[in-house]
Amino acid sequence: MGSFSLIFKKFSRSVFLVAGFAFFASFAYAQGDAAKGEALFKAKCTVCHKIDSRLIGPALGPTITDETDDKWLTKWIQNNQALIAGKDAKALKIYNEYNQAGMTTFGEISDGDAANIIAYARTTWKTMQAAPKPGATGQPAPETGPGNLVIFALIGVIILAFIIILVLNKVVATLERLLLKNEGLFVEEAEVEKTPVDRLATIKKLAKNKKLVFFVLLCGTLALGSWSWVTMWNTNVHTGYQPVQPIKFPHDLHAGAMKIDCQYCHSGAYKSKNASIPSLNVCMNCHKTIDRTLNSKTPSPEIQKIYDALGYDPQTQKYDSTKARPIQWIRIHNLPDLAYFNHSQHVKVAKLRCQTCHGPVETMKEVYQYSPLTMKWCIQCHKRTNVDFKGNAYYTKMEAVHALLKAGKPVTAALMGGIECSKCHY
Amino acid sequence: MDSNKKYWKGLEELNKTPEFVEKNKHEFAEPIPIEDVLAGGGLGGKTPRRDFLKALGFGVGAVTLAACQKVPVHKSIPYLIKPEDVTPGVANYYSSTYDGHAILVKTREGRPIKIEGNPNDILSKGGLSGQAQASVLDLYDVNRLKNPMKDKSDYGWGQADDFVKSELAAIKAGGKKIAIISSTISSPSTLAVIADFIAQFPNAKHISYDAVSYTGIIQSNQNSFNKAVLPHYSFDKADVIVSFGADFLGTWISPAEFIRQYVQNRNNKSLQSKKMSRHIQFETGMSITGTNADVRIPIKPSEEGMALINLYSAISGTALPGARPLKNNIADKAITLVAKELLAAKGKALVVAGSNDVATQVLVNAINSLLGSYGNTIDLDNPSHQYAGNDKEFADFVSEMKGGEVDALFFLNANPVYDYYNSKDIIEGLKKVRLKVSFADHSDETASVCNIIAPNNYYLESWGDDNAIEGYYTILQPTINPVYDTRQAEHSLLIWSDNAVKDYYTYVRNNWDKNLLAKGGLSGRGGWETLLQTGFVKAAENPKGAYTFGRDLNGVVQTVLDHSAQLADGDKVQLQLYQTVAMRDGKRANNPWLQELPDPVSKVTWDNFAAVSPSDMKKWGYEDGDVIKIEGNGYAISLPALSQPGQTQGTISVAVGYGRTLAGPVGNNVGKNAFPFHSIRNGTFQTSATVTLTKTGDNSPLSQTQTHHSIEGRNSIIKEATFTEYLKNPAVRTGNGKDHKDYNENNLFWQDYDHPQYNWVMAIDLNACTGCGACVVACSAENNVPVVGKAEVGRRREMHWIRIDRYYSFNDNGQGGVTKETEIAKLEDLDHVRVVYQPMLCQHCDHAPCETVCPVLATVHSSEGLNQMAYNRCVGTRYCANNCPYKVRRFNWFNYWNDSRFENYLQNDHTLLVLNPDVVTRFRGVMEKCSMCVQRIQAGKLKAKIEKRPVKDGDIKVACQQTCPANAIVFGNANDPNSEVSKALTSERTYYVLEELGVQPGIGYQVKIRNISETEA
Repeated sequence: MGSFSLIFKKFSRSVFLVAGFAFFASFAYAQGDAAKGEALFKAKCTVCHKIDSRLIGPALGPTITDETDDKWLTKWIQNNQALIAGKDAKALKIYNEYNQAGMTTFGEISDGDAANIIAYARTTWKTMQAAPKPGATGQPAPETGPGNLVIFALIGVIILAFIIILVLNKVVATLERLLLKNEGLFVEEAEVEKTPVDRLATIKKLAKNKKLVFFVLLCGTLALGSWSWVTMWNTNVHTGYQPVQPIKFPHDLHAGAMKIDCQYCHSGAYKSKNASIPSLNVCMNCHKTIDRTLNSKTPSPEIQKIYDALGYDPQTQKYDSTKARPIQWIRIHNLPDLAYFNHSQHVKVAKLRCQTCHGPVETMKEVYQYSPLTMKWCIQCHKRTNVDFKGNAYYTKMEAVHALLKAGKPVTAALMGGIECSKCHY
Repeated sequence: MDSNKKYWKGLEELNKTPEFVEKNKHEFAEPIPIEDVLAGGGLGGKTPRRDFLKALGFGVGAVTLAACQKVPVHKSIPYLIKPEDVTPGVANYYSSTYDGHAILVKTREGRPIKIEGNPNDILSKGGLSGQAQASVLDLYDVNRLKNPMKDKSDYGWGQADDFVKSELAAIKAGGKKIAIISSTISSPSTLAVIADFIAQFPNAKHISYDAVSYTGIIQSNQNSFNKAVLPHYSFDKADVIVSFGADFLGTWISPAEFIRQYVQNRNNKSLQSKKMSRHIQFETGMSITGTNADVRIPIKPSEEGMALINLYSAISGTALPGARPLKNNIADKAITLVAKELLAAKGKALVVAGSNDVATQVLVNAINSLLGSYGNTIDLDNPSHQYAGNDKEFADFVSEMKGGEVDALFFLNANPVYDYYNSKDIIEGLKKVRLKVSFADHSDETASVCNIIAPNNYYLESWGDDNAIEGYYTILQPTINPVYDTRQAEHSLLIWSDNAVKDYYTYVRNNWDKNLLAKGGLSGRGGWETLLQTGFVKAAENPKGAYTFGRDLNGVVQTVLDHSAQLADGDKVQLQLYQTVAMRDGKRANNPWLQELPDPVSKVTWDNFAAVSPSDMKKWGYEDGDVIKIEGNGYAISLPALSQPGQTQGTISVAVGYGRTLAGPVGNNVGKNAFPFHSIRNGTFQTSATVTLTKTGDNSPLSQTQTHHSIEGRNSIIKEATFTEYLKNPAVRTGNGKDHKDYNENNLFWQDYDHPQYNWVMAIDLNACTGCGACVVACSAENNVPVVGKAEVGRRREMHWIRIDRYYSFNDNGQGGVTKETEIAKLEDLDHVRVVYQPMLCQHCDHAPCETVCPVLATVHSSEGLNQMAYNRCVGTRYCANNCPYKVRRFNWFNYWNDSRFENYLQNDHTLLVLNPDVVTRFRGVMEKCSMCVQRIQAGKLKAKIEKRPVKDGDIKVACQQTCPANAIVFGNANDPNSEVSKALTSERTYYVLEELGVQPGIGYQVKIRNISETEA
């Protein structure tokens, strides 16, 4: 049922959109091409402007009304500094309102392009206002597939149906028995008393079979033994550990959909033993402008947590360091203190991909521990991985290694001493 | 020819006392109570078996339950806004200054964790003393004051400022005196702040007061040459050095610098160019300098004056009035010989004296003038600013204070209530002072009797500068924000004197911009930034003038003789006060690393003691550790006696710097305060006195590391030769040469290891090592070595990974090997012993005996020649330690980091921040030992890999090597024939300790050479 409403909603929205475009396109003063304007807008303007709300610059929707002088606006877009320098009253007003932060000048935007952008801003804003607000439809429907509620309802229905079937079966059985009784065919009572005696006798008989007992005991011991063996080996191995983090940070979105390089945030991996969790100023590089998920109407509460942690107010765009408090992430990959691990050795020198140890992070909604992080796992990799000598002068002087290379044998990290104790334990 | 010279670590070993012989037979220092268990039924009885099973059951259950706890959740908290220059996991280094030395401070994630010498430091070229190494720990001292105090209760800075300013205004109007008492300040900016303060309050005065004072030298230069300066000495330019009680390798003026200079004429390089300086030491107690001397003559404090008079007479050729031969025959003969040697080395000779007596120092000046030392080995034109204390000025001030003439007092890094000889006068005088302010960062002895304590920042939290010697200006920059609510003293003085510049950083910058940057050819913002990187500027040296001593010596001689006569008071015992290398004047008494650093000579930790000559011990009926009462100068203390070979008969030596009462929990009541034995004479503090000794009947055992690890009479541990022998055959004593025996021929036990890439080895030059112990502290700081405390050291459980073994031997008259026991017996003259120091650490044997006995393979060999120790594999059988021929493995008897019995050291979250995060701390029940700083090796290799280049020689420096002011330790890759260490190990002097065992140690030692001439006394 949920999906029906969803499909309906999507359909209706696109109908509205098409209708809206068609309607607004007919207006005489919107000479520009809104579709062309959209591409330009996304390329040039989104860093500082949004249609519906203020970012670094003003919200364009409410600002560019039907009454706005397009010629002046074109001049402003192309060279706002000139207008300010020329003491244009309107320009000065905006300039002062925005703390005298001058807008970038766009000399490369032609008059026609400017008209396109303006047209896009107008049409989009109109569409936004005409579109039904989420609250108005009364359907805060999930945006991706059926939600949990639907699943639960479905399960509930199935269970209910199952119970009904059971009850009906019982009723049918009782009715049948009644029928049989009435016909004088009911002879089950004697059998009911016999059955337990028989069963016990079988067990006793089986218990006297020494081979069988031995077999059962053997199986039991083996099962229990292998269970404890596995349990003990896996003590303190936390593969799959996926704690609830203070912010539901979706790696699948950032690293997967957006294809942001791991090292953009985990910059320590190249130069330090710690890959390091990014400090919040790295988040703010993007999230200063992005405060919601794609197509969402309201700011994301998860992104808001970044702002809260920094004491940042997205309205005034000011930081209040007294309100700042660091985010306490929960560490997933816990190597014991007794093992020294250095990311740069593996990422920079060995050129390993992060996924080798951390798994398909780009598909993880929330990160979990992918590798066991046991010493066995380390050593196996060190035994199997060939050292990449190419282009690293560090390895040129190693005569013994050269000899091996000449003999055509591969050189593993283990051969380079990579499995000796004090490579990791000191 | 192998020497059969007899070496011994302690008198117990030498005399083969029954206890020592008995103890030596046993594996453990204390008997293991097996007999107790076996006696009385023991394990055979019924009840013990049941109890055993119960305990076993309970134990298994309890351990299982205890193990069944949830894995703790670890938080990972990133920076909110990461500083640009900080990468978590990567250390940053900042240049700064300590005691005038340019240093580098290693910080991790914003906290200083290690002090390292700046390799370009003019004074010691990257070497640092143990004190400097230990100074980082004091930053994390939880007993530092956390905010200002008024009358022992917490106070705010605003309130304190208001109070002090209003008081000062009233005092200024009243016209009484204001005094700033400080230990020597060599910072130009601090001196300028004080000058500004005095300009604001004309009735103020700055008095420099040093607990251990050099006023005598400064005054004598004023008297002799009209220059009241502490000269800058150059031991590297001296071929013959004669010292009268100046412990210049341990504590005198600038020891780290002097070690570097001194060793330049004695190290491998110098020997290979057939050059070695000669050093003769006349002294009372056995100092580290005396132990390093080629010839050491014990003299009484009362004989020093006459010795100098005789030396002057012998050099000048005309006897001074009053010159008489010394009663001490050996010293008398030595003086004549020394005079000849000094004259022969004219212009390249240096005579120094440790005395703080003006007249004595004038005599020394006269001798140096005759020898042409001025302008060569002594520089008066580029003097040292390290000490400027004026004893008389301070004494006068104390009487003024007692007379009620002083209304305001500021104590800056001065603690006279503890270290002034007459602290009663000070306390009495302080009662009459209206405003008493201390800048101490602890509520120390003096601060606790002040109204206001305005705690100073620690030097690692401060801006500032230093000027140790003329023309050498170093910058002090903070490496961490003030940890507590403290404020720099200069800042406080600026505020209280309403200076136009209120902020000390701005003040320092202005001062440098205006006066100092230009001296190094720098200017402006760029110049300042360069300075912050390089750490110092060096101005051109002042031209050296000619100085000739021209005063009449008659009066001086009379004063010296009077003083000597006073000291030689009948049969009274003469007391010599000295500083220990670790504790110096006691300002860092609350530092556990320093308290646990064994004294180089006596190997005593955590205490001071009365050093008594072995013959006096016998004569007076003392045993080691007998507490004796020492009375003199109207003061008395009781200290345990220690038999110290080399101590002059009829004298005792006691270290100052101990017996603090308000230093903090570590330093409180460790030893006894010996400062009150000082006296003031002719305007200077005197460090010798006459005392009477009485036995109290108590015995208080000292915790020494001395008798540990007996060498069992093996003669291949220490090898020593004379310079003459060396010149004839550079490989003397080593056994190197054609007939060098190969002890690996019949190797049956060990497989040979390949070292395809690296072979990390070390070379230690015994002739360069002075035994100062800086390496021990550096190692503790680098490798998180725990402190165990006095009681545990007494049980031989100190944890140091590197130790300096000190071996005594008898004077063999330059004969070299004495082969027969009877001859050794003849030489047993405990007053004239020789000392060799040997840094001993894991030898990283290629055929390591420890590896073969480990049942769990916790210690194995690496392909890089290291003997690896995997702590978490170790189950603590201690077989390895038993099988180690060098006894360098240390066992963790307790979880020192987290055991309430050791709570006074490092067990709080704050102090733990000093730990090196790249080295794990070890748990109880685990063996540990030197890892050859494997974390540094790994980091060095990784750096090379990232930079795509081979590891260069010198890239990787181990902690002990890095701090050694003598450069005695060389570390590197033996596979590289051009590395420093390969060159050092190919030197003819190289030998391997206990080579005959065939364990193939990775550390080569170079034979100790002594410059002894045939004409020796």
